[in-house]
Amino acid sequence: MAKKQLYWKGEDELLRTKEFLASQKNEFNEALPLDEVFSENNLGLNANRRDFLKFFGFSVAAVSLAACNSTSVRNVVPYLVKPEEITPGVANYYNSTCGACSTGCGITIKTREGRPIKVDGNALSPVSGGGLCTTGQASILGLYDTERLDGPKKVSNGSTSNIDWATLDTEVSTQLNAIQTAGGKIAIVSGTVHSPSTLAVINDFKTKYTNTTHITYDAMSYSGILIANRDAFGKQVIPSYSFAKSNVVVSFGADFLGTWISPVEFTKAWADRRKVDGISADSKVLKTIIFESNLSLTGTNADYRFPMKSSQEAVYVTSLYNAIAKLAGQPAIQIAQSGELAGDAIKQTATALWKEKGNSMVISGSNDPKIQLVINGINMLLGNYGTTIDLDNHSNQYKGLDTDMVSFTNDLKNGAYAAVLFYNSNPVYSSPASADIIAGLKKTKLSVSFAGTADETAKLCQYIAPDNHYLESWNDAEPKAGLFQLTQPTISPVFTTRQAQESLLTWAGLAAKTADPFANKGIYNQKLSASVYYLYIKSKWAAMGVSGDEAFNKALHDGVHMAPAKAAVVPAMAVSLNAIVSDLQSTIGNSTGIDLVLYQSVSVKDGSLSNNPWIQETPDPMSKVTWDNYVSLPKALAEKEGIKNGDLVNISYDKVSLNGMPVFVQPGQSNGTVGLAVGYGRMGKAGEKGLFESIGKNAYPFLKVQNGTYNTVVNGVKITKIDGNYELAQTQTHHSIEGRDLVRETTLEDIKKNPKAGNDKATPHLYTLWETKAYKKDGAPNHHWAMAIDLNSCTGCSACVVSCSIENNVPVVGRAEVRRRREMHWMRIDRYFTFENRKMVDYTDDLFLSRDYEGKNVTKEKGLEALDNREAQAKGEFTHWENVKVVHQPMMCQHCGQAPCETVCPVLATTHSSEGLNQMTYNRCIGTKYCANNCPYKVRRFNWFRYNDNDKFDFHFNNDLGKMVINPDVTVRTRGVMEKCSMCVQSIQGAKTKAKREKRKLTDGEVKTACQRACPAGAIVFGDVNDPNSEVHKLFKNERSYRILEELNTQTAVKYMVKVRDIENAKA
Amino acid sequence: MIHDSVIRPQLVTGDKTLHDVTTEICRPIENKPSTSWKVGFVLSVIFLGILGLTLGITLAFGIGTWGLNKSVQWGWDITNFVFWVGIGHAGTLISAILLLFRQKWRMSINRSAEAMTIFAVMCAAIFPLFHMGRIWVGGYWVFPLPNAFGSLWVNFHSPLLWDVFAISTYFSVSLVFWYLGLIPDIATVRDRATTAGRKFWYNFFSMGWTGSVRTWNRYEVVSLILAGISTPLVLSVHTIVSMDFATSVVPGWHTTIFPPYFVAGAIFSGFGMVLTLLVIARKVMNYQDYITIGHLEAMCKVVMLTGTMVGLAYITEFFVAAYSGVEYEQYAFINRATGPYWWAYWSMMTCNLIAPQVFWFKWARTTPWFIFMLSIVVNVGMWFERFVIIVTSLHREYLPSGWVMYSPTMVEIGLFLGTFGLFFTCFFLFSKFLPVINMAEVKGILKNRE
Repeated sequence: MAKKQLYWKGEDELLRTKEFLASQKNEFNEALPLDEVFSENNLGLNANRRDFLKFFGFSVAAVSLAACNSTSVRNVVPYLVKPEEITPGVANYYNSTCGACSTGCGITIKTREGRPIKVDGNALSPVSGGGLCTTGQASILGLYDTERLDGPKKVSNGSTSNIDWATLDTEVSTQLNAIQTAGGKIAIVSGTVHSPSTLAVINDFKTKYTNTTHITYDAMSYSGILIANRDAFGKQVIPSYSFAKSNVVVSFGADFLGTWISPVEFTKAWADRRKVDGISADSKVLKTIIFESNLSLTGTNADYRFPMKSSQEAVYVTSLYNAIAKLAGQPAIQIAQSGELAGDAIKQTATALWKEKGNSMVISGSNDPKIQLVINGINMLLGNYGTTIDLDNHSNQYKGLDTDMVSFTNDLKNGAYAAVLFYNSNPVYSSPASADIIAGLKKTKLSVSFAGTADETAKLCQYIAPDNHYLESWNDAEPKAGLFQLTQPTISPVFTTRQAQESLLTWAGLAAKTADPFANKGIYNQKLSASVYYLYIKSKWAAMGVSGDEAFNKALHDGVHMAPAKAAVVPAMAVSLNAIVSDLQSTIGNSTGIDLVLYQSVSVKDGSLSNNPWIQETPDPMSKVTWDNYVSLPKALAEKEGIKNGDLVNISYDKVSLNGMPVFVQPGQSNGTVGLAVGYGRMGKAGEKGLFESIGKNAYPFLKVQNGTYNTVVNGVKITKIDGNYELAQTQTHHSIEGRDLVRETTLEDIKKNPKAGNDKATPHLYTLWETKAYKKDGAPNHHWAMAIDLNSCTGCSACVVSCSIENNVPVVGRAEVRRRREMHWMRIDRYFTFENRKMVDYTDDLFLSRDYEGKNVTKEKGLEALDNREAQAKGEFTHWENVKVVHQPMMCQHCGQAPCETVCPVLATTHSSEGLNQMTYNRCIGTKYCANNCPYKVRRFNWFRYNDNDKFDFHFNNDLGKMVINPDVTVRTRGVMEKCSMCVQSIQGAKTKAKREKRKLTDGEVKTACQRACPAGAIVFGDVNDPNSEVHKLFKNERSYRILEELNTQTAVKYMVKVRDIENAKA
Repeated sequence: MIHDSVIRPQLVTGDKTLHDVTTEICRPIENKPSTSWKVGFVLSVIFLGILGLTLGITLAFGIGTWGLNKSVQWGWDITNFVFWVGIGHAGTLISAILLLFRQKWRMSINRSAEAMTIFAVMCAAIFPLFHMGRIWVGGYWVFPLPNAFGSLWVNFHSPLLWDVFAISTYFSVSLVFWYLGLIPDIATVRDRATTAGRKFWYNFFSMGWTGSVRTWNRYEVVSLILAGISTPLVLSVHTIVSMDFATSVVPGWHTTIFPPYFVAGAIFSGFGMVLTLLVIARKVMNYQDYITIGHLEAMCKVVMLTGTMVGLAYITEFFVAAYSGVEYEQYAFINRATGPYWWAYWSMMTCNLIAPQVFWFKWARTTPWFIFMLSIVVNVGMWFERFVIIVTSLHREYLPSGWVMYSPTMVEIGLFLGTFGLFFTCFFLFSKFLPVINMAEVKGILKNRE
């Protein structure tokens, strides 16, 4: 039995005498020797003249010294009425829906002292599955953007003036009524709206103003799929794609892990189907095959990647159809063109698909409805509808039809519309027919934009009625049929903005009808909850079946409400593919012309958030370029035209041209194609050089109408090299792995035979001078924090990079500093290319270089040079540049048990914690930078400048608004100190404190690092490796786990797991 | 006792009398500065101004004004540091080791060599100080001072801390040794002084030197003791500097050959610098009789010897890398010779190993203008050696993802040029206000001293 230990200070305390107990009641239990100094007589002081002078002198000196300190006055303003749920220092979490794009991921918002500081995925939402993409992570900064409008504006003759809401409402309503009376047409142009309540609001508006049309316009639309499904099945929807049920997925240029429809959801589903632990000999992983022009994120993760010329997609798609039709005994499409790619790609793919008929998926990123019809045909042949592809529980995430937009643009240009309202859309920037819209806008009587910033379209409207940021808004969403989500405000509107829905209701005369149930119930409640639209949503949800406060609050708490799924019906195809042959043929470009393939980059996407510094500083996962878009060239073309990295080119097609574009010779870019990202080249605030300015150039004008939709593939562009140089800001400048054992990989075939496949290298290592650390506390095992990263799940999407930066107040440094290789990211994704020497050029005759080749794969700089030289001499196609294998490896501080950085710091600013963390003491750091030099992983980041409060770094750290996003739990580092990944020590500490207060042990999974929370693929697992039941402990014991640079004996606390590809083993 | 051999050539030529020595060596101090001195001094001060400016920029804006980056976090700064520390070594070697070995030829050159040591160490010290991100705290936190933060203490494992002790010890011992040697000569100047100011100051700094036998006796004893203390410093300082690299895990740094190789390199570069200075000084100050061709030749031999030693070390490094079987180590060395910084490597090889081999020829060792040219080559080569070691090792380390290029900014270039300003400003002041040749000792080796 444990005995309570007693200590006492003296006998009195032990015996607890009366005198002692009495004395304990006083603050000072013994009389203070005050009368030695003070006395009744003698001026009240017992001091003599000398003592007096001493006291006097000391006091004067002390007072004057204290007065020298010019501490600035900082005010802490207490709450007038303290909100019940806010405790300073304690975070609150709210479930909501991400508003960064129309995908509608469920999110969890972390707020501190009433301000949102972090957005993570909500695991309850099937769309996000707990992860969140780079764009969604970064979108929180949009709330604290200095470029936001501070209230409603009236624009006349290009100048903006302030206006109040009441005046704006009167003026707009009057105009709308006048137009209604005159029979004029009104258009609402919006991005995809899948919010049931917003759609109801628009309907209410339409009821009042009967001549209103609602045009849904997505900058990068999925019209092809929508129209194809409408024509083939009578359902104008994007289907649900089930990766879980598929064993093979074949993609034609659809970057489903990066940007296609719902990348977070797809990444999670894909990664779940790629798990290999404990795999049996007959079980399958999701084999991924991609045909594409640009190297996409999906392309880097595919098992088989076939470079394709996108303008020939119709040829390959019909060839695949015909190959499968042959296997199925069905008639082929009668088309003159047929094609095959290197290595019998089409034939092999057809075989692989046929083997998995009913359990496969063929998808295409093309926006051409006719190509999508063929894709539908293939899936019909394979019987995938109703199993892996579901048209009934469809996606609502993109509903925009380019055909509608094209006709709207024409009508607008012809002056058919009297009023236009732009909600969540910016066609003046993103439409290729931007000039027509500008011309048409001038002909309207009324134009209003709901944009939160004065974007390109808003600047040309008469009124701007700025919408709230989504973190300030009430809303709902239905991203997929039957999946309802809510958006709730987590902060009072920062500016005098108003929700667009409320504006529409007001103009429709419906806002006044709803009473304010919170009136006179306190300022806080009133401001947050008394929104007209909130009550509107509640009533709509009540009609939907979520009635009563309890049900609604539960939905609000979860953020998600799911209606039961419908049974998927196997549809019949109503279109004969032979009927569209001529349409298909019209899409086939000239095989010698250069294709321009427009794409969305993984973090900038369609460009609506492109003034966000976190998004811009996130390197593109493939090229590692930040802060710019560029023409990505295949090596063969670059060699032919004599273009090198750093050169500038003009790119033109028809009447559209972009001059002075930087180039990047992109490994993996298909020959005969060039890539260019949309979403750049936004224009900033007039007269001010905001962040928008000078970030790349706008590629939207290249979008080409083809079979009624805007197509991203343009055949026959001209590229001319011009004088001048431009250095792209890259975070990684060496791209080959140099044959080093950093990323281990194996094949599915091998790992089925041997779980240690690819990971059986014995690593001899250096001896250490120091004792091995035990991580014990009072003899019992202490925590030992560790992390396992599954390279087999990691897609390289970089969501973790952004999440880490936000959580840890990592400064944005800007393009110039990235060029100097000084980005501050604590977490980065190393990306290495392996060049596949498919021609099997023999190097063994080359004395010096013969060591640098490993048969088929070239990983060394010198080997690549030699191969390039031979290809250049042969005027070859540089197929080794087209056929690259890519690996992604997240890299952050490895928290070495024997850390090279720790021993070399002269002042012990970096030390080892008793829980295995390698800690940085910023206050102690003097910045010798020795630790960074001695770090084998190069993960330490030095504060070269003062990045906060410095107008040279005009991102968000230098203004009061932008600083609101700073995580108060993490120090903002000063100039001259080193920093690095802390494994989110603030989260560890927070969870430990919480567990201690609740008198329990920390449970596994309670502490999650920012990168782990962000990862859509669940590739990162963090925990206590000393806890035998923890997930990370099990992963550390996993046969696939290895330490990077183990031979250095740094005893890292991070382990990587071998990557597995489902490819055939090379025949010996 | 006189140990001179009768047939050995005279160390001081021109049949100088004791009085000749005094007047000739005191001449620059007592006369108005010459035009060449003025021009040189003004130029040096201009460069010193550049140093002030670049240090100011660094302090005001941060180390970001340099060209360093996430992988190469030491560049020109530490290159310059090792370069200057190395230069200092010749002074100590001449004054301490040659004293112990009773190499009397050292007597005409030791004073200026020691001065060079002190000024070079001053220049060197600027770099480790200002390369710190936060010099305002780092300047004293690196010392094991008692503080109010409980157990907060320095890290005795860190080679940088060893550096702090090594350099500060080296500087203080060198300064004391140099000053001690100056005392009798300052007294001579004091005795010849004609103006009140000069009388006062030289009197003050001569510390009441009387020239009595007892004082001389103590002087000799203390000199010997200081020489004894300095001798290990010649080896230790650069050994410890080399450990900044050798104790790390960086491929190309992590080698046990570094201490001897660095010491040899330091002596090599130090003698290179002494030659540069003295070839000029003996001409300008008309000291050809004191610093004779014999002196120059002796130093050239040292240069040739140590140059060959470092060359051997370079080749040994390659052998060890190949023999180690460590791919990172092997790559580091192949990258030095054939990577993007190949030009730095081959500059180093040419200047340090190949060029000094011309000193096998007597003509080369005895032709001052040629020696001067070669000494510059040696200095350039040794600067490149440090650049090669530091930058080419760091720029391509273990993970190819972190491989970068590094190039200095104007601020870094300005800092380097600026330290030359500091160095020469000090040297010019020294040559104006103090006797550059040890009169007292030189008088001891005159032929007609009786």
